[in-house]
Amino acid sequence: MQQFLTDIFSFEDRPRFERIGFLIFLLIVLIFPWIVTSAYGRAVMIKFLLFALFGLGWNLIGGYGGQVDLGQAKNVGFGAYATALMIVWWKVPFWITIIPGMVIAAMESFAIAYPMFRLKGHYFAIATLCVALVWKELFIFWDWTGGARGVEIPIRSGADFVYMQFNSPIYYHYFILFLFLLQFYFMNWFRKSKLGYEVQAVRDNEDAAASLGINVYRTKVINYTITGGLGALGGSFMAVYYLYIDPDAVMPLDLSILIAMTVMVGGAGSIWGPIIGAALLIPLDMYLGAWLGAQKRLGIDFMVYAVIMMVIAAKEPKGIWGIIERLRKKGEVGG
Amino acid sequence: MMLEVKNLVKEFGGLVANGDISFELRQGEILGLIGPNGAGKSTLFNCIAGYYKPTRGNIFFEGKEITGWPPHLVTRVGIARTFQGMKMMPNLSVEENVMIGAFCRTSDRQIARKEAQEILDLMDLNGEARVLPTELPIALQKRVELARAIATKPRLLMLDEMAAGLNPLETKEIIEALQRIKEEKRLTLFLTEHVMEFIMTLSERVIVMSAGKKITEGLPVEVARQEKVIEAYLGERYAKGR
Amino acid sequence: MKKKSGSCLLTAEVFFRKRDEMELVVQLIVYGVLMGLIFALIALGLSLIFGVMNIVNFAHGEFLMVGMYIAYLLSASLHLDPLFSLPIAGLAGYLLGVGSYRLLVHHILRGPMVAQLFGTFGLMLFLRYLAMYIFTPDVRSVKQGILVGKTLSMGWISVDASKVFSAGICILAFAAVYWMIYRTKLGRALRATSIDSEAAKYMGIDTKGMNAFAWGIGGATVALAGALLAHFYYVTPTVGMLFTLIAFATVALGGFGSIVGAFIAGIVIGLIMVVSGQLVSELKFSFIYIVYFLVVVFRPRGLFGW
Repeated sequence: MQQFLTDIFSFEDRPRFERIGFLIFLLIVLIFPWIVTSAYGRAVMIKFLLFALFGLGWNLIGGYGGQVDLGQAKNVGFGAYATALMIVWWKVPFWITIIPGMVIAAMESFAIAYPMFRLKGHYFAIATLCVALVWKELFIFWDWTGGARGVEIPIRSGADFVYMQFNSPIYYHYFILFLFLLQFYFMNWFRKSKLGYEVQAVRDNEDAAASLGINVYRTKVINYTITGGLGALGGSFMAVYYLYIDPDAVMPLDLSILIAMTVMVGGAGSIWGPIIGAALLIPLDMYLGAWLGAQKRLGIDFMVYAVIMMVIAAKEPKGIWGIIERLRKKGEVGG
Repeated sequence: MMLEVKNLVKEFGGLVANGDISFELRQGEILGLIGPNGAGKSTLFNCIAGYYKPTRGNIFFEGKEITGWPPHLVTRVGIARTFQGMKMMPNLSVEENVMIGAFCRTSDRQIARKEAQEILDLMDLNGEARVLPTELPIALQKRVELARAIATKPRLLMLDEMAAGLNPLETKEIIEALQRIKEEKRLTLFLTEHVMEFIMTLSERVIVMSAGKKITEGLPVEVARQEKVIEAYLGERYAKGR
Repeated sequence: MKKKSGSCLLTAEVFFRKRDEMELVVQLIVYGVLMGLIFALIALGLSLIFGVMNIVNFAHGEFLMVGMYIAYLLSASLHLDPLFSLPIAGLAGYLLGVGSYRLLVHHILRGPMVAQLFGTFGLMLFLRYLAMYIFTPDVRSVKQGILVGKTLSMGWISVDASKVFSAGICILAFAAVYWMIYRTKLGRALRATSIDSEAAKYMGIDTKGMNAFAWGIGGATVALAGALLAHFYYVTPTVGMLFTLIAFATVALGGFGSIVGAFIAGIVIGLIMVVSGQLVSELKFSFIYIVYFLVVVFRPRGLFGW
């Protein structure tokens, strides 16, 4: 038991500066809403934490798994719809609704994984796109889920912990922070676990992994299944935070792209990557917009990301974290 | 009888890469497999290790039939292998590479780590534990590969051209390392090789393949003198000329 | 007596309904084939690029989108008939393709596959959001032109003139590319590079130039298709991804690297879209995505590919 707890929380295997860096980061995030009181600033922080959350989940398949998945939005959608519909139809408390959301997303991922992992690389990426787009079109087509009209969650007054609805962003801040830390420590456990190593071994060299006793196919399927479940968690949050969801808000292609992008830019395959990526891109997105005015901003933020992506693809596929690691190694050898 | 291969045939479309191969391997033996390029040695290897499904024939390991088993099950049942190109996990450290092998037999990270460290010690790789394998010279990478394979606690170890690309000194070192771990871990070895010195020194018995068939087997010294073996490597004229 | 006339009426009604149905079916088939030919042209470039250097261009649909905007701009600002935009779009596509290769793709070819993927992915994003920035997400359309909005009637079938024309251009373009690849020296060099680029290099072929050329032709053909599409389809910055996926489905079905395959598969995909559009219009693209998925999982070689 003690070992299990250590595995979740310890970063002993990482260099000291990472541990300190993370503690500083955590401290800043914890006191943030008391320092920054503007509604916009708080909203940016919440969005950053949400995308860091999404990124952590995606990192499983995209980073540790080494397979670029461009359809994570479908899992977000499953979670969002499960939560929203259960609240609206049956008044189910939020914390219970996240379970069916994650289970449905996991089950769908599991089912689709079997045929899909016959594919690799580009073909796999396109297939994930196709699957996500089909689901989105289905959700628009289906009337019972609200179709294109979406689902609206009735507003309640005051601070409601059953449906996680609040009148102040401070609550949402700690709410999303809690979810983020849940997934963050899960990832910490994962990267050191047998499954985590198997996933990385499969990513690095499938033949070698098989020769060491790893069932390559099964590993990929399990990894993708977990990624699905994790994506749904963020979706559930979106439902109760925005109080309105529709296929274009929770399952669009742009969301899948943004999630994949933040992790790839930050550094796929490292636990810090999603955080770095989101920290760079989300505030950039939100503040560039405000600075340039709503009309002009459309597209500039993504254009900047796109250029960053192309440069990283050509120079350092391991993203910003890869650059940091490279500099550190140089420092070690030289100094 | 550790390994029995009976009438193994592997066809790729019209090409018969392995035609009716049969042989046995006793526990504790060191069996070598030689033959000119294109003889079908790698195919045979891959059929046993599970990377190819044999077209016909049977393979038995310790009495159990393993024909057509996928690679991960072959490893789990006790046969480990190394690769010609040293397929390293480039993003994991040497120690982590070996840990992956250890994870074959345990789910506990601490245990896997300890086993990995023991084996690294045995292979004299302690200093390189935290390094990325791609930063090491080839000779050391080969040792990492060996360490990794050993970590899966095999009873039979198959080596695919271990000596390729090594200079004579490195070859000797690797031969010593192999003999050491064979003793320590009580292994049976099956190796395929082009470097004659390597395989003839190590092997107790040798099988020769040519053009997909097994043409002879026996003690290294005997086999080297047989006419058909010389013919397979150097052609009819040389064989007759002797 | 009454009964007889009643049944006569019934028969007549049935006859006319059947005739309507038949007309509808024929109309659909014609429409499907015409759209399919355009899909074939769109897919041609993708197949070519893949055949020559085994890289998949995520930005393919974005080149199409550029072609569309060129047709729109020339029409809206210079009042040029969209027909004249065809060669301009083609040229722009060629330059865009070659430029993309030299500035980006050439540098990522040697890298890991993930890098290649997000290299062209980044290019896609850049073009998509550049268009969104310049043109806003508003939907545009080309309003006037010789062929815009006109219909041709052949008996009881009526078709958009622009679609017929586009289909004709597609056939010509296919023929031109096919001729170039199989009947010219340049095409032979291209084929050599696609079979074995190392060997081609040793034979004195400028493989870098060949790669750039492939991207150029790929860009030109798909931008041309875009300019054709602008005659009758909405022009928006986000239209690229849809056509990238349609192109992928077509190339997968036809077989990666096969020109003939792209042609036939395009027609098949066109028919599928039209039929599923008739059955469940909201899901008409879903069926195409599903086709891609099924083909790639169960018959990766497609119909004619290697």
